[in-house]
Amino acid sequence: MSTTVLAIDAVSFSYNGVVVLDDIHMGVREGEFLCLLGPSGAGKSTLLRLLAGLERPSSGEIRWKEQPITGPGLDRGVVFQDYSLFPWLSVVENVALAVGKANPTLSGRQRRAQARKYLNLVGLADAIGKYPLELSGGMRQRGAIARVLALGSPILLMDEPFGALDTLNRARLQDLLLEVWQSVTPRKTIIFVTHDIDEALYLGDQVAVLGASPGHLIASLHVPFERPRARRGLVVSQTFHQLREEIAETLSVDTLERLTD
Amino acid sequence: MTTFSSSAVMDSPLASRRRWYTILRWTARLWRWEGKEPVLLFGLLLLAWQAGTALFTPAANSLFPSPLRTAAALWDSLPELWTGTYFSFLILLPGYLAAVVTGVVTGLVTATTGWLRRAFFPFARVAAPIPPTVYIPYAIAILPTFRLSAIFVVFIGAFWPIFQNAAAGALAVEGKYRDNARVLGLSHFEYLWKIVFPASLPHIFSGMAVGLAFSFILLTVAELFGANAGLGRFVQYYADFADYPRMLAGILYTGLVTFLSMSLLEQIRKRALFWMR
Repeated sequence: MSTTVLAIDAVSFSYNGVVVLDDIHMGVREGEFLCLLGPSGAGKSTLLRLLAGLERPSSGEIRWKEQPITGPGLDRGVVFQDYSLFPWLSVVENVALAVGKANPTLSGRQRRAQARKYLNLVGLADAIGKYPLELSGGMRQRGAIARVLALGSPILLMDEPFGALDTLNRARLQDLLLEVWQSVTPRKTIIFVTHDIDEALYLGDQVAVLGASPGHLIASLHVPFERPRARRGLVVSQTFHQLREEIAETLSVDTLERLTD
Repeated sequence: MTTFSSSAVMDSPLASRRRWYTILRWTARLWRWEGKEPVLLFGLLLLAWQAGTALFTPAANSLFPSPLRTAAALWDSLPELWTGTYFSFLILLPGYLAAVVTGVVTGLVTATTGWLRRAFFPFARVAAPIPPTVYIPYAIAILPTFRLSAIFVVFIGAFWPIFQNAAAGALAVEGKYRDNARVLGLSHFEYLWKIVFPASLPHIFSGMAVGLAFSFILLTVAELFGANAGLGRFVQYYADFADYPRMLAGILYTGLVTFLSMSLLEQIRKRALFWMR
């Protein structure tokens, strides 16, 4: 029913003569939550930068709805690990900036009103006038989610957005992200970079496992759990453990193979 | 036995020095000197000055006036110094503010525009180190009034440090902010105004501080050439009449004005950079 909207076609990327990504093929369906999972050095953040259009592939092509991606665009919103908000703008100004880019005709007042709406949605209503410096890591990432929602992009690219958070905050923000994603129709397509197997399995419909040196696609597997997912039931289920073991096994076998080569 | 050996240790040179240090520290704490060292030093310098003038110079020689005579001269000259400040600021402010505006705008735009950067940076490297004082005679010759030429000289002196620091700030904008601006699809103007400008503010303020110090130097130097009022003019005028108490009062007063102006700029910097750690 849903079709492939984002095609990664034989993409390689080298930087200063070092191959970072080697011949990646991948297709992402509309409204899918895809997790890019891999150890550090697997080039998952680089792949995300290629998708964002911040870098160009050395060879191969990335297409969104048959159009090659040649640069950044408002059809793809990005959340970075810990620096999506500009420190010299208050939270509401940060989000209003994105609102203004999505709807250039709105007045300043209307932009701020819209921004407030998104901040309410992520539970930041009380921190509207605050500056990123005054916020905890978790609140900053809530702000970053509000900003990317304000951009209204059909694709969200998230680069280890919860990687710097403590376990409790990470779980809360994962739930918030799923909640927001499930409440919006049509569903946004999310590509989410993580090195945490549990996070990938809890969030994703599909997990693409990447191996390191150079970054290459090892496996792509479907996550069969129904939504909405209950964290507690999920982590004790047999399937969850099987998938987790399978991924860990795949990754360690791949690492060993690369070492012996 | 134990008591004996420990007292022997206490009497070693190191231990006795430590004891003296402790006594000194306690005395200082008793008189609440800690944190007031600048006041203390200032008082000591005044005392030394007073003692020096009392001991070494006859009363008739006013080349080294005592602090009290200088203070009296300062008090007497306050109205004149006040008007002098007014006329000096009529030169300083237009020159300095023009340098801030043009230095920041051209610095940021040049640094972020490839061809402008390639064209102007080598030129700036050659033009910036020219001591601005050498422009003074020419500025006086080609500009219609003394005030205009002085403003121009202050402008040139303050412009280069501000330009260079603004450009350095724009070049140092972190990649993460650039990436953020790009994924938000900001236009070049929005990028300059909302990202590059605030991100460069720490650099810009360093340039503005250097530029302000330069402005005061150039202002007073320019006033030696042809002003009929102003702080530098005041000092020069009374030096010509060998009225050293007044001259010294003028120097101290100019120092105070400079210090207050720099402090004001520092306060503005703190306000503007509240978002930094």
